[in-house]
Amino acid sequence: MRVRPGLVPWLLMAPGLTWLVLFFVLPNLQMLAMSLSTGTISRGWTLTWDFSNYADALTRFPDQFRNSLVFGGLATLLCFMVGFPLAYGIAFRGGRFKNLLLFLVIAPFFTSFLIRTISWRIILGNDGAFLTVVRDWLGLVPANFSILGSALAVVSGLTYEFLPFMVLPLYVSLEKIDRSLIEAAHDLYAGPWRPGGAIFGGLFGAALMVVLLSGLGYLPLAAENAAGIATAAALGGLLGGLVGTFLISESFARVVLPLSLPGVFAGSILVFIPAIGDYVNVALLGNPKTQMIGNVIQNRYLEQNDYPTAAALSFLLMAGILVAILIYARLLGTEELSGGRA
Amino acid sequence: MHEDPLSAAGSMISRRALLKGTALLGVGAFLAACTPGSPAATPTAGGGTPTTGGATPTVAALTPTGPLNFANWDAYIDLTTLPGPDGKIGTDDDEYDLPSATLDEFAAKYGVEVNYVNAKIDENESFMATIRPQLQAGVDTGWDLIVLTDWMAAKVVAAGWAEKIDHDHTPVAIANVRDEYKGMPWDPGFAYHLPWQSFGTGVGYNRGSTGRDLSTIADLFDPHFAGKVTLLEDPHDTFPMIHLMLQAQGKASANKAEQMTAADAQVVYDFLLPYVESGHIRAFLGNDYLSDFGSGDTWCALVWSGDLASSGGPDDRFVFPAEGSMIATDNMMIPKGAHHPYTAELMMDWVYDVSRAARLANFIYYVSPVKGVSEAIKALDPEIASNVLLFPTAEILAKRHPQPVWDEATEMKVNELFAVLRGV
Repeated sequence: MRVRPGLVPWLLMAPGLTWLVLFFVLPNLQMLAMSLSTGTISRGWTLTWDFSNYADALTRFPDQFRNSLVFGGLATLLCFMVGFPLAYGIAFRGGRFKNLLLFLVIAPFFTSFLIRTISWRIILGNDGAFLTVVRDWLGLVPANFSILGSALAVVSGLTYEFLPFMVLPLYVSLEKIDRSLIEAAHDLYAGPWRPGGAIFGGLFGAALMVVLLSGLGYLPLAAENAAGIATAAALGGLLGGLVGTFLISESFARVVLPLSLPGVFAGSILVFIPAIGDYVNVALLGNPKTQMIGNVIQNRYLEQNDYPTAAALSFLLMAGILVAILIYARLLGTEELSGGRA
Repeated sequence: MHEDPLSAAGSMISRRALLKGTALLGVGAFLAACTPGSPAATPTAGGGTPTTGGATPTVAALTPTGPLNFANWDAYIDLTTLPGPDGKIGTDDDEYDLPSATLDEFAAKYGVEVNYVNAKIDENESFMATIRPQLQAGVDTGWDLIVLTDWMAAKVVAAGWAEKIDHDHTPVAIANVRDEYKGMPWDPGFAYHLPWQSFGTGVGYNRGSTGRDLSTIADLFDPHFAGKVTLLEDPHDTFPMIHLMLQAQGKASANKAEQMTAADAQVVYDFLLPYVESGHIRAFLGNDYLSDFGSGDTWCALVWSGDLASSGGPDDRFVFPAEGSMIATDNMMIPKGAHHPYTAELMMDWVYDVSRAARLANFIYYVSPVKGVSEAIKALDPEIASNVLLFPTAEILAKRHPQPVWDEATEMKVNELFAVLRGV
């Protein structure tokens, strides 16, 4: 029997399409119906096209939406800050240890996600390594100071959890950069990146420091904190300036970094999406003030039995992420993703 | 393993000794407030002549099948907990998968495997959420035996989600269950449930961390403990406890804790909110608090009565606070559609044997629903008569309240307030 040529791609796609329809489209339709229903768990749900579930969901949980965005964003930023040098080191200086180093990056994945998060409870816990140094040896914080149950703990957990998702795409895009381009840059007198590096590094460092401290709640952006913010910016600016002056070369800024942008893009999406919807890190490392939207959804589904609100929130989260990514793709739009010249 | 129960009891004495001086008390006495339907519950310590021995099922045709999938709460059976590499009990690295005489002997006697999943249930609602869809769809939940608190057990029975218990298979349990437990309005004849243990809700603290002894719920709000306090994850525990405290301070209505209303819950909420916002209260937890006591992340908390005694460290203490405390019962049930209901019935019957029940109570420090257990425990270990967990004083009993049972509207309101406190 001959298969009509037009059918071949469909046949090839059939397994994937079936999977998508069964496990993505259908559940989503069901969730959509639930998000427009009213009722209670004991009396059952009826589809009433009640759009107020959405309005409700949007207006009742502004703090949790904000936490999700801020923590997810900070985790992505930190993953980038930690992951880029790591990926760069492996790609350009890894030599024959490249495979081993890459293996080490993903090695933690051989342990369950939960176990890894729980180990952070121990590391950041009261008798963990961090507080032993900061509190017991250095005496920098009072005896009842806690990292556990803070935004810092949540963002640390998220950063650690999703770091490999940043490193691997970065490594791929750095690895395939043609080294002769860098040599060409050197031939064209690319040297240390001054004063551009100092200025750019300083600004970036200052901004990063302020974003981190305010995002983690240690230094809210308010007029009375102006002095603190200025100090943080100065400190961050100094550090960033030093890094920019002495560690960043012109060939890096003009050749390597732009060519690695597809990796940056893919990596930050791979980190941001799961991080923004994560609820495990908050459940294990956070406190009532650091709850993210994932925790609300979990609570509504599993504890309050308020399925319509939970479904509406899930949809809003999905839609929000989709919109954010479209904007991001436009801004950083790489040919690989927007399907341009390939 | 398989050590003599007496030697196991002996090893507990050092921990038990620490509990002395906290307050005092009689298994027998405890439940006065607990059973609305019980005829004036005269709590004589386990009256009646208890039946002993394992069940000898009269229906010869049935053979036990397995594995028996048994979901229970943490620190609720005689699992020999050993400290992990850090040398401390109650931290995250403890090894729990260690033998339990109760379960091992059952498995040996009936030749079935018992798949006991410790700490599977951390909170009634969240556990129910994992099996509700199956129950609604009328399919097996994967569990043969589950343990739910009164208020949730009542809902499960009302929804028709529990298998009927064949009393021919549970003669020991029916003969030995204490009178105070009989006649619960939601299942008066034990058709769908049998009590597992009763638990009190009170104040737990680590003497080393707090630097002083605590005696009241109000002590939890001492500014020195900021950030090191947790409350319980079930509003049926946390709301009435704080209500009792506010009552003692003259800040709440005179409604009994078991009858607190949505308006009372609002008062509790208004009191707690600033403490949550300031970070004084770090979290609302289930049995998880055990590991936090071990690591020093929690200094004091609302806790369930037996946990710290059986699974906590040497400095962890439990008190029935001066303002009063709550009592409730967790109940064994067979979820509808279970694959091994007969084995589950055998297990229900098994734990109602007096000597086994005494050994268990003496291990987990919860209040046994089995007649004659108080005498049996004292026979095992005379010193234990001074343990307030097993033998509460008249003073504690007078101030002990059953958990409230809210109607649906009130419950939704309370849940809503509680969700805001928990930040979700």
